[in-house]
Amino acid sequence: MTGDLFAQSLVLGILLGGLYALLAAGLTLYFGVMRVVMIAHSAFLILAAYLAWYFHETSGLDPLLSLVITVPLFFVVGYGMQRFLVSRLRPISLTTMSVLLTFAVALTIEGLLGFVWSGTQRRVQLDYSSASIELGGVSIAVVKLIAFALAAISLGALYLILRKTSFGRALRATTQHPEAARLVGIDTDRVAGLGFGLGLATAAIGGTALALDYTIYPSLHWHWIGPLMAIIVVGGLGSIPGAAIAALLLGVAASLLQVPLGTTWAQTVFYLALFVTLMIRPQGFFGGRLAQRF
Amino acid sequence: MRATRGLTVAVIGATTALTLSACLASPDQSGETAGPDDPIVVGVSLPLTGDFAEPGKGVQRGYEAWAAHVNENGGLLGRQVELVIVDDQSNADRVASDYERLINQDGVDLVFGPFSTRLVVPAAQVAQDYGFLFVEPAGAAAEVFEQGFTNLFYAAPAIADDHYAHLAEYILALPTGERPETIAVASMDDPFAQGTAYGLRDALAAEGIEVVVDEVYPPNTTDFSGIAAEIADSEADLLIVGSQYQDGVNLVVALQQQGYQPEMAAISGAPTNAEFPAAIGEKTEGILAPTGYTPTAPYPSNQEFVEAYEAEHGTPPAEDEANAWTTGQVVAAAVEAVGCADPSPECQTQLIDWLHSNEVETVVGALSWDAEGRPQSAHLIQQYVDGEIKIVLPEDVAEAELIHPKPEW
Repeated sequence: MTGDLFAQSLVLGILLGGLYALLAAGLTLYFGVMRVVMIAHSAFLILAAYLAWYFHETSGLDPLLSLVITVPLFFVVGYGMQRFLVSRLRPISLTTMSVLLTFAVALTIEGLLGFVWSGTQRRVQLDYSSASIELGGVSIAVVKLIAFALAAISLGALYLILRKTSFGRALRATTQHPEAARLVGIDTDRVAGLGFGLGLATAAIGGTALALDYTIYPSLHWHWIGPLMAIIVVGGLGSIPGAAIAALLLGVAASLLQVPLGTTWAQTVFYLALFVTLMIRPQGFFGGRLAQRF
Repeated sequence: MRATRGLTVAVIGATTALTLSACLASPDQSGETAGPDDPIVVGVSLPLTGDFAEPGKGVQRGYEAWAAHVNENGGLLGRQVELVIVDDQSNADRVASDYERLINQDGVDLVFGPFSTRLVVPAAQVAQDYGFLFVEPAGAAAEVFEQGFTNLFYAAPAIADDHYAHLAEYILALPTGERPETIAVASMDDPFAQGTAYGLRDALAAEGIEVVVDEVYPPNTTDFSGIAAEIADSEADLLIVGSQYQDGVNLVVALQQQGYQPEMAAISGAPTNAEFPAAIGEKTEGILAPTGYTPTAPYPSNQEFVEAYEAEHGTPPAEDEANAWTTGQVVAAAVEAVGCADPSPECQTQLIDWLHSNEVETVVGALSWDAEGRPQSAHLIQQYVDGEIKIVLPEDVAEAELIHPKPEW
């Protein structure tokens, strides 16, 4: 591998890792807050990508502007989904039943996308789709940079919300000990709903970032859910910094391994990492005790 | 869906009646039992949902347009043509049982092939087992013709390996200074995509042009930046991509993002798709692609096809539609020549034998086949010239001169 190719692959890996981090943050939040395995997260991602594409297609405006609509919309949908669907599951079987419930939601979204916009692959065609910035022999695609910036801003905001606001404290308290949280007067149901909404709002941002650089089609979400699940397990379920670190490391690893191993094998790095994590450190490498920290 | 089911019910009813009348009639000559007013029923299984749904629907449009055209012009042997199309959901197990049912239970008179190599092989096996003629619009990979089928005919100008035959010839004839010295290849892990790309790669590599990147990616790949980085780093003169639609588009954009400028870019699959320029924007200039079909090709029956198709759909037909129409033409030629269209072994054998020893005029030119069903021609080479895709090779049907080297994208 030449030095240039190494640098290029490293940069691509970091950019991809950033996107993965954003997409995985929501997943780890659901699990951290309410032990919900949200299979439909990536389906919402693709839904957001479609909305961004459709917004661009009909209005001619930049797809990023669709965030003004999709972020609040997804927040409300997430809140509603938690309050009216997830909260009805019995606490004892919540984790397993949530897999089935959200699997059904994922299939429903996929079906609706296909029904409304057909199976045709769509792509947002922008003036800057293929533009890039040259930096010391490395080309950084503008769209990838935007996606990375969106990821960094969203994750930063998420971290601040969880750390610095009373809602964040309530959410963390709910996570750590729901009964104790209720005793000190926290409306844990409402907090859980808002937490779910927050997670889904990140899917709106992630999906829009995705739409900038990828061709989208209804079943694309199955491609994403596997690596994302691997990331949150490696990062430590419930830990947002853990998911971010795991996403960056795995993104870079996949990108660098692509050159010697080829695309097919490089993609298995996520599953290999998942396997190794479950064998030697099932609680994850960066999260500390299960879902205790953000 | 409901229409298809309704149609199936109708056909099952019709065929039951047909079988009954066949039992009652004295079986002097099989096939003659169907009256002159009965339709010729053609069974097809197509991937109308699943991975190959897009091209599958294209093939469906082609078959339906062909059947409508034939029926408007007096039918086949004076009988109307009726299609029974079922959905195999892009599933290879299902396609086999579909043809089994079409032939065995529904009692169709003829079958047409499905879409994609992966479905053609199991479908052809069933047809072979029942002695049916099997003309197919989409199984171009070399392996289709290595299964020992004697009933199979591919209704297109060339198998995948020969798609670039005209381009290979052109490149090798270039003066030394202009000839590419290095090649970067990226192909989807798919027999058809690889067959096409490797046909050109091997033809050039055999003449001493160096292959510097040779990547294969799985069909579900979405992130192409890694492959693009390798290709950009190699600075290869010639880029060869074996793709379907979305992967081709994603790879080209990733290459553009990394500032890679090949002297020549030969991309099979994606560029001939009508959505390709919409997805890439105004950066298609000079991209080369092999195509088995173009609405502007000067073959006698092609104009008739384009007019009939446009009248119904408002757009010119694409390659999938054309291959389906060609399949219809090939089978119709055999049926007209032999004078029968029924499931009896005698009739099917006659149809197969006739196609082995004759040439058929179609919308993609005159077709003839070797013993394994490989068509004996080459594909047209198209290039984006002034924003439009035009035939540039072979020279006798070219609409524009090949641009070399390729303008920057």
